Amino acid sequence: MALIAQLLLPFFGGFAALLAARTGRDRERWVAIAAMAATLAALAAGVALGDDGRWLAFYRADWAPSFGIQVLLAMDGLTAAMLAISSGLGIISVFISWHVTHRSALFHAAICWTVAAANGVFLSFDLLIFAFFWELMIVPAFLLIALWGHGDREAAAIKFLVFNAVAGLGLLAAVFWMGATSDPVTFDAFALAETEYSETAQILLLLGFALAFMVKLPVPPFHAWLPDAHTQAPTAGSILLAGLLLKTGAYGLFRFPPMLFPDALMALAGWGMALGAFGVVYGGILACGQTDAKRLVAYTSVAHMSIVLMGVCGGVHFALIGAGVEMIAHAFSSSALFLLIGALQHRTGTRDLRELGGLQKTAPAFATSFALFFAAALAMPGTANFLGEALVITGMFQVNWVFAAIALVSLVVSVVYATRLIGGIAFGAPKPAVENAPDLHRYELWPIAILGLCALVFGLFPQLLIGWLWTAVEAALQPLIVVQP
Amino acid sequence: MLAYLLLLVPTPPLAGFVLLALDPYRLDRRAVRAAALVAGCAPLVVMAPMALAHLTKFWGDQIAPIFTLHVGNYEVALAVGLDTLSAVTALTVTFVSACVLIYALDYMSGARNADLRRFFALMNLFQAGMLSMVLAADSITFFLGWELMGLCSFFLISYNMTSPRAFAAGQKAFVITRIADAALLAGLLLLFLEAGSVRLAELIPAGAALDTARGPLIAALLLVGAMGKSAQFPFHTWLPTAMAGPTPVSALLHSATMVAAGAVLLARFAPVLAANDSVAAATAVAGVVTALFGAASAVAQTDVKRLLAYSSISQIGYMLVAVGVGVPAVAMAHFVVHALFKSLLFMASGVLAHAGAGGTSIAALRGTARRAPISFAAFAAGAASLAGLPLVTAGWWSKEAILASAFEAGWLGLGVWAVGLTAAALTAVYAFRPVFTALRAPETETPRGRESWLAVGPLVVLAVLALAGGLGVKPLTELLGGHPPHPALWVELAGAAAALLGIAGSAAVTFLPALAGRVARARRLRAGLQMDARYYALLVRPYRRFVRRLSGGRGEWVTRVVAPGRGTEGVERELEGAVRHARQPEGATSDPVGQATVVLGLWVWRALLLPFSPDRMDMAWMQGARGIGRAAERARRLQTGRVRDYALALALGLAALLLIGWGMTWR
Amino acid sequence: MTGVSVLLAIAAGLFAAGLFGVLARRTILMQLISLEIMLAGPALAFVAAGAHHGMVEGTAMFLIVLALAAAEVALGLAIYLQLRRDAGDGDADAARRLRG
Repeated sequence: MALIAQLLLPFFGGFAALLAARTGRDRERWVAIAAMAATLAALAAGVALGDDGRWLAFYRADWAPSFGIQVLLAMDGLTAAMLAISSGLGIISVFISWHVTHRSALFHAAICWTVAAANGVFLSFDLLIFAFFWELMIVPAFLLIALWGHGDREAAAIKFLVFNAVAGLGLLAAVFWMGATSDPVTFDAFALAETEYSETAQILLLLGFALAFMVKLPVPPFHAWLPDAHTQAPTAGSILLAGLLLKTGAYGLFRFPPMLFPDALMALAGWGMALGAFGVVYGGILACGQTDAKRLVAYTSVAHMSIVLMGVCGGVHFALIGAGVEMIAHAFSSSALFLLIGALQHRTGTRDLRELGGLQKTAPAFATSFALFFAAALAMPGTANFLGEALVITGMFQVNWVFAAIALVSLVVSVVYATRLIGGIAFGAPKPAVENAPDLHRYELWPIAILGLCALVFGLFPQLLIGWLWTAVEAALQPLIVVQP
Repeated sequence: MLAYLLLLVPTPPLAGFVLLALDPYRLDRRAVRAAALVAGCAPLVVMAPMALAHLTKFWGDQIAPIFTLHVGNYEVALAVGLDTLSAVTALTVTFVSACVLIYALDYMSGARNADLRRFFALMNLFQAGMLSMVLAADSITFFLGWELMGLCSFFLISYNMTSPRAFAAGQKAFVITRIADAALLAGLLLLFLEAGSVRLAELIPAGAALDTARGPLIAALLLVGAMGKSAQFPFHTWLPTAMAGPTPVSALLHSATMVAAGAVLLARFAPVLAANDSVAAATAVAGVVTALFGAASAVAQTDVKRLLAYSSISQIGYMLVAVGVGVPAVAMAHFVVHALFKSLLFMASGVLAHAGAGGTSIAALRGTARRAPISFAAFAAGAASLAGLPLVTAGWWSKEAILASAFEAGWLGLGVWAVGLTAAALTAVYAFRPVFTALRAPETETPRGRESWLAVGPLVVLAVLALAGGLGVKPLTELLGGHPPHPALWVELAGAAAALLGIAGSAAVTFLPALAGRVARARRLRAGLQMDARYYALLVRPYRRFVRRLSGGRGEWVTRVVAPGRGTEGVERELEGAVRHARQPEGATSDPVGQATVVLGLWVWRALLLPFSPDRMDMAWMQGARGIGRAAERARRLQTGRVRDYALALALGLAALLLIGWGMTWR
Repeated sequence: MTGVSVLLAIAAGLFAAGLFGVLARRTILMQLISLEIMLAGPALAFVAAGAHHGMVEGTAMFLIVLALAAAEVALGLAIYLQLRRDAGDGDADAARRLRG
């Protein structure tokens, strides 16, 4: 029941927000918050009452039996973590969007629907339903960018749409193929995992899945939509993009390829790691070249998510757990950075590092928050980001030291872009744009505090996170270990 | 259980950092200073009894597990521990940092409250980092402390936020040390994979026992990590520019503790180094080269802080020599002594600079001996210790032990000894230049300045230790498990002679105008052989150009590949918009790999589109539609509107029907 | 040629003459008269056929045709009056607003 609630509460919450907006000022905000808080509560209940075995909770019902479509939802530690991030970031997005008044009802509905669709992606194990939610997710995010964005928002929204929709076709084609060739027809991922495919078929199917995941992740050369979407999106949109949509790609990569196509994954692992290694360095270097703060952080996302790709393709304990930790850590650190930059843009009207500066003098709390996530962005030990990167690098040393060395290079590059970012924002004499910028207010401070606490707590007490993700890692590794020589 | 008291050593500064950084109570200046003082001195109060108990063999080795992390079959067991090395280093660090913090209370008194908070918060965080590093019993805690120091170093060097120079210096320091840190992390992770544990007690023997190619690799990676943090040649360039930070920062981080952390690292991992002769030899050579290079560069400096920075580089070179020739205990003895006299020198130079004509140039120190006599005396004591004035200074004892150990270490050691001796002479030359300059009569007479007891107190304590500490060098070496060398008498005499010769040279360089002029002209040497410029030309500028080329291009090639708008319309015009966007998205940076995907998509789109862009089927349909229009045009002419015409048509129709009907009945 | 045939030939002649009148004349009044002549043709044919077959329905049909002719004249005269009022004369060709 808790699983169904994860889908329905935010989904109908969105409609409720649409209706509630007519009854009074700011109602839609509180309705959206209530819906997502209820989702969180349901999640907590589901986890608390969860089983001990492979899954904390499991739900199966027929949907369209003649086509073999089921509602098949399952939650383990990884899923629960992603669901918590999804609803949590949803609530935070509402709080930091208090200044949004233009078509506010639809805005909050779109936030709720994004959360609902992402939850569907995290929970579904019926591949057709998974693909459905995968495509559904694009719609509210598209609306968020196209309707409430800045600057050239239509172009960015269309770019986002085209990239993700085209990539989704790969997933859809693979899913249909698998469903059509199964007998009796089923889209049940667990059943399909038992199916033996020929090697070519596995590789083709994997490529179909991987296309969707790698575009969402995004890994170069499929990342072109991300900087545009991030810069043009409203703050809430950036937070959901970085914290949620990118994570669906990472989650999918983590969950399905090892489960469904272990042979193909191991066959292509070298290419995957190479692409990841390239992405780490490429994203880092391009981040160094940006003058737009949001673009800079967007490129760091490319670098960090490439580490996740490396980790998943690594196929050893350290690499996989590192990938899991990294994607959760990145959800905290990058959404916090987008939040801060968005707040800054709201105050100063610019994101250009050349026009910003001196925040330390005029808004010290702002600058301190920046410093905290600055440390997270450059993977300072003590933050969850370091944990993730160090684990992936350890795994890489077990697999192939060349990729480990490249990942280590990213540690150095990360210092360059991180110092550029904080140097452009916090250091220097206050520029005219910054001079009258007020410090963080309450609605911004507590989301920052929560995100910062998450980054630090999981960094300082990693067992919390590792223990939580372990069953998922074991499950992902099991088929891979069989394959490995 | 008592071992858990160790956790109380880094905790107070950490609490101080949290309190000062988050500032929940809106602390005023007094409260900020009080909090910083308490947080800064508490580690000493906790550490001193424990260290003494351990050093007097009253208390054995301790280990306090923090928590254990299970990753598959591996256990990552974090812990802090107390052994002789950590007791000695932690005691030194707590003591020196307490002194520096007390001094800083006075030195920083002119700062704004917000800056004061930031300063002390970062100093406290630094203390916590350094202490967790020296007390670490596992490689993860060790690396945590190591990186925290790097972070604090960045923020403290660029403490003066409005100065672009300070920021650039901080950035440079951070990037260079991070390069070395990446090597260190690689080494530690490889070691972890080999040993299956992060506990140093298991890690180090496992590393030393390695007989594969990984052994030297790990040792070399650790060496690179140490050299970066310790600003050893060729990583040294960040340290002189790091002097852009306030003097207490230089005194604590960039001389006594943090930069010397490389030596601590190597002393800790000495067995791994010792197991790999080539790396050990490389360590000794790197150390002695740096010692000579640093000393020679220091001679040519005109700024007292930069002089002291090069001096730190050179002195830590000596520590590396000691580790390289297999006597880490001696290296640590020198670490302790160096921490004492170097922090003393920095702090005293800060007071002297305030008392002098302003600025930190050596020339500005003229006459300060009279204006701030206590600080000058302390500075002189520190300089004597640095120069290694025989017998009466701590510096002589520790440095002599290093040189003698090198002398006893085979033919390579002999060479190292010779170069080290030269460097020692040069050390005396530069150490006494500020002293002699300060003694010279000032150009303008000014009254004796105020010397606050907060600033002078630590100076006096440190000065006494820098001189009398020599008595402790031998016992300290033995405590750390080393054997003080017993060289031939002439070797010791040579060391003493080098120091004395150097002091004479220093007097010559200061008072003989010809020599002074030559020093003033030694621009290449002053700039540290212009390594900075070389790095800039070789690494930084190409990197920047590369980044700019990669991200700043206009992307004309996009247009070339997908040339839209050649007399086309409709969909093609939309394509043009997409091409423009691909060429130059908002934010005006390009991204070749990302664009490539877009361009490929556009190209395919266009390739699919152009053959069909006059869609023949569509044209046929449209033709048909137009034909119907024309037919209708014609048909409407039938409608004359004249009743008679319609009647005729009716009649003709009727006639036709009748005819047909007639035909049907035809048999 | 028997009596019936002669009568039917006359009826056809009447119809043709009337038709010619409708098509050739432009004055509505004359057209109405021609229409009446056209109606007279079939009416005559009904009566002749009834008499020939000895059935009364032929005469009955004549009465119906007569009623039809009366109704037609009523409508036709109304249209004629309307046209006179609008266009000033009874020219049927002038009333061609329905031209395509």
